[in-house]
Amino acid sequence: MKFFETYKKQIFILLAILLVLCSFITAGLKQQTGLVGSAVGFVVTPLQKLSSSITGYVGAQISSLSEERDSEAENEELRAQVALLEAENKRLSLYEEENKRLSDLLDMAQKYPAYDSIGALVIAKDPGNWFDTFLIDAGRDKGVLPDMVVMESAGIIGRITETGPNYSQVQSILDSRSSVSAMSLRTGDLGVVRGDYTLMNQGLCRMEYIDAESEIMTGDEIVTSGLSDVYPPGLTIGYVQEVITDANGLTKYAIIAPAVDFKHISSVLVLSEELEEEKSDQSTTTQQTEESTAAQESQPSSTPLDGEGGERP
Amino acid sequence: MRRVITLAIVLFLNLILQSTVLQHIAIIGIVPNTALIIILSMALLRGSTEGAAVGLFAGLLQDLFFGSSIGYYAFLGLVTGYIAGKFNKGFYRENYLMPMLLTFLATFCYESSIFFTSVLFRGHLNYLYFLSHIILPEMVYNTVCTVVIYRILFSVNSATEEKEKFKRRLFSIK
Repeated sequence: MKFFETYKKQIFILLAILLVLCSFITAGLKQQTGLVGSAVGFVVTPLQKLSSSITGYVGAQISSLSEERDSEAENEELRAQVALLEAENKRLSLYEEENKRLSDLLDMAQKYPAYDSIGALVIAKDPGNWFDTFLIDAGRDKGVLPDMVVMESAGIIGRITETGPNYSQVQSILDSRSSVSAMSLRTGDLGVVRGDYTLMNQGLCRMEYIDAESEIMTGDEIVTSGLSDVYPPGLTIGYVQEVITDANGLTKYAIIAPAVDFKHISSVLVLSEELEEEKSDQSTTTQQTEESTAAQESQPSSTPLDGEGGERP
Repeated sequence: MRRVITLAIVLFLNLILQSTVLQHIAIIGIVPNTALIIILSMALLRGSTEGAAVGLFAGLLQDLFFGSSIGYYAFLGLVTGYIAGKFNKGFYRENYLMPMLLTFLATFCYESSIFFTSVLFRGHLNYLYFLSHIILPEMVYNTVCTVVIYRILFSVNSATEEKEKFKRRLFSIK
């Protein structure tokens, strides 16, 4: 104890230097939680689960109370919305034809294999205000691995950055460290969807590096392009809210409203790495697939998304 | 020993609440940094050594669960706790003004150093924007939360000190 008192300052300085070194060394390496993290996670995760389910329940009760009060106004609003949607429906049915043609063109059928998915609940959120990561209650025990894609039925949420024994960390696409290679479904223009600090709190993100000549416009659906190793192609990211030309006039960027409501995520799906098997599967059965697509072309394909050539008898 | 266990429980409880319940009381998307408030309060109540220890472990917990590397938040916590502990002497513990003032200034330094060490290098040069949209609101929110948290920790600390009165101190205060 005497030793500690005399060399207090030196000890702290040494400790501080060690921590800085440690953070430099572990940056980017931390994909599987170590022993300490696992042990702490084992204790903390169930408590977080409990705590967030309680707060979720209370929140739901409170919002249902206030919803009752607002139902009158909501009714009015919904009527207006129905009218709007009817108009939009007409417009969309026009798009449907085009969409069918385009997805045939893109051969989505083969790139959209039936992924196995793991269901999980969101249990905790990053306490800081700078980044947007959260924890889910599925870890290595359920077969979750780093770089798996996390989705909701509406669209993608993000990817797994770190896995523990019974929990994993998810980096959402709103996080400024995240970037997803993306494409406009209508025009096929490529870009990169990035998280942005200035938009994060509004639940929006940016699509950058869009060609200035592109005809991307408000309302276009943005999907993953498949140029990345992590995200499989054709998953919905969101819709264009605004297109802005950069100051230099050479590129554009777009503000994207994600299809997922990031303020209210409670349960998610983790797409498990079926992609690898699918790839090898496809390479062995390429000829078969080509034959089956050739056969499909002669007859109108009603369900383009479940056409999996490899598994056909 | 009793003190170590008490502090461990406080830090774990804080981690759980901060990542779940507190997310629901966010104002304009800003969540108060209760871990920072706990570090500052303990440093003020007990001095540099304990402040630095609390900061180190609070930071390590955050690193384990939410950090992208081990040691980043731990380092920030250690330094914050150590410096805040310097103000331990010469103020009335019952007075709330000192903890509030310290939280106000420390939040500014803490969040600014996060900006300068991890946000700036990703090409976001617009410090004023972040100052007005993240740092300043958090400074105000933290300062308000300090009143509650400092009060709780003050009672916790007095209770432990009462028990420890006749025992040898873990870290002696001079």
